[in-house]
Amino acid sequence: MLSNFTKIEGRSFSYWRIIILLGVLILMGAGAFIAVEVQGHGITGMNNKIAWGVPHVFAISLLVMASGALNLGSMSTVFAVKQFKQFGRFSAFLAIALLVGGLAVLMLDLGRPDRLLLTVMHMNFRSMFTLNVFLYSGFIVLCVLYLWSMFEYQQYTKVVGSAAFMWRVILTTGTGSIFGVLHAREVFHSALTAPTFVALSLSSGTAISIILLVTTFKHTKRELEDKVVFGLRNALIFFTLLVAYLLVVEKFTKMYSPAFYDVQSWILTGPYSWLYIFGVWGATILVPLGILFHPAKGNSIKGVYWAAFSAVIGTFAMVAHILLAGQAYPLNMFPGYEVSSVFLDGVSATYTPALVEFILGFGGIAITGIIYMLGIKFFRMLPDKAVAPEGYELPWNP
Amino acid sequence: MTMDRRTVLGLGGVATAGVVLAPGMTLIASPQPDKTEASGDQRWAMLIDVNKCDSDCTACTKACRQENNVPLFGDPNRDIHWIRKLEIRDKEHKRPSVSLPVLCNHCEHPPCAHVCPTQATFKRKDGIVLVDKHRCIGCRYCMLACPYKARSLVYHKTTIPEDGNPKVPIRAKGVVEKCNFCVHLVDEGEKPACVQACSKEGKNAMIFGDLNDPDSEISVKVRTVKTQTIRADLGLKPHVFYEGL
Repeated sequence: MLSNFTKIEGRSFSYWRIIILLGVLILMGAGAFIAVEVQGHGITGMNNKIAWGVPHVFAISLLVMASGALNLGSMSTVFAVKQFKQFGRFSAFLAIALLVGGLAVLMLDLGRPDRLLLTVMHMNFRSMFTLNVFLYSGFIVLCVLYLWSMFEYQQYTKVVGSAAFMWRVILTTGTGSIFGVLHAREVFHSALTAPTFVALSLSSGTAISIILLVTTFKHTKRELEDKVVFGLRNALIFFTLLVAYLLVVEKFTKMYSPAFYDVQSWILTGPYSWLYIFGVWGATILVPLGILFHPAKGNSIKGVYWAAFSAVIGTFAMVAHILLAGQAYPLNMFPGYEVSSVFLDGVSATYTPALVEFILGFGGIAITGIIYMLGIKFFRMLPDKAVAPEGYELPWNP
Repeated sequence: MTMDRRTVLGLGGVATAGVVLAPGMTLIASPQPDKTEASGDQRWAMLIDVNKCDSDCTACTKACRQENNVPLFGDPNRDIHWIRKLEIRDKEHKRPSVSLPVLCNHCEHPPCAHVCPTQATFKRKDGIVLVDKHRCIGCRYCMLACPYKARSLVYHKTTIPEDGNPKVPIRAKGVVEKCNFCVHLVDEGEKPACVQACSKEGKNAMIFGDLNDPDSEISVKVRTVKTQTIRADLGLKPHVFYEGL
């Protein structure tokens, strides 16, 4: 199976319409950034209890998906799944695009983004943020090398691809550890937070790849064999089950201990319970699995597409739940006591995101989108047809 | 001289980056913990006797606000509190409620300093945990890490109020700040404003002093009466002790 990689033409009206739309979103995002920079975070909905709001939800979701986007490349390079080799370039390039979009939002939401260089001038190697600076920049370097090897020096693809695979696992562990290591935050402090992020990156990265491949191949009138998409479907099922498994183990462990009864019942009945039930379990786990296990819908491209769509929405919801509910749950400064103060101690925090936060977040998605759109126009990222190797049969169908 | 398009774009990029980054770069200071003049001979700490703390007394919080130009924005979610009064009561309501002030605990192992990516938060040799507001990038990670909710982001532009303290700078928009034990007073041999105010009110519920001096009032008290720290189980070794809790 030899793939012939070609650029897309990118001359159609609908191509330029998407580019213009993304450009407008980026400009709006830039406007939102300037507004927050000039007027301060007072124009956002964030406050002293929910200090990380919607922009962080967008940023961290994109970073998690960036790591996961490398799935297709890793599966072919490291695990020798031949049918995904044709998507190696797409995979590495998408990972870079998602990472850049996520990092842009993260950096532009700083209280003092003009001091960003200080993060490399006065490093604190105990900080997960500092470690992540290395992990993110290293990931981009490895993805660029991986791409380069796939384009020019295929003898190095195995080595660089394997390094990128290991790096992405560490990278997502680092992202999850931003939360997992914080002892004072009962909602997300757990050794399982980081592995759950890794699992979430696997499912969301596969899902976003399915969406983009199906859409791109359809609109560029390229052949994408169903069997290839169904292979990705099987991977998405496995990865989604992995996320569910880790969530159940974490919940079981915490519910076993009376010390966690309060926080666990708050998660299930508190102000963010809707996000937990419909977002974390509904959109991330149950809806995708319900569709993918359905004998008819699970065997249709449309069904797989919508399951992937739900998984991506679920990723945003899950990150939102970890972040927002994690901060909203009152700090337990005096275990066993009721607490009250003028600083709203002892009560769940409230947070109403402002429009400017969503605009900044969508600006980050638009940056990812425009990098992807320009990348497939100017570089030979995609095969002109994607088919499974001869004689290949899927081991399993719903 | 003519320039090709690539050169123009490159120079434009450098100029843009310069304009964006310059304001921050001009404010770079480098107060590393070992470069401050603080001596490791002292270990500053505070002891609060909750039995002497009345729930309707806010002298300490007012004094802090006045001394450090800590503003109120009129929004309880965004107001900055370097020190605040808490009411705590057992969940079964079998005992009367207790009123106590809570502030930065100037931990021996401060989680805020551990997570700070630029070392803007650091612990001096004398144990005071400080924020260099010129180095803080406003990432707010420290706000998530602090178990005492002692940190606030300055959400709005602030000015020194008419009755404010001209010796202390304004609270800077976009950075995270917190109680610094009135370090400017401590370095001049005085006590923090909250402690002075509590004393002036005749309550004497707050003691501030050097734990390394075995004869200091706080050292004697910590040795001889039963004290507690908040969330001692986290292992941070807070240096605000409570008596009668």
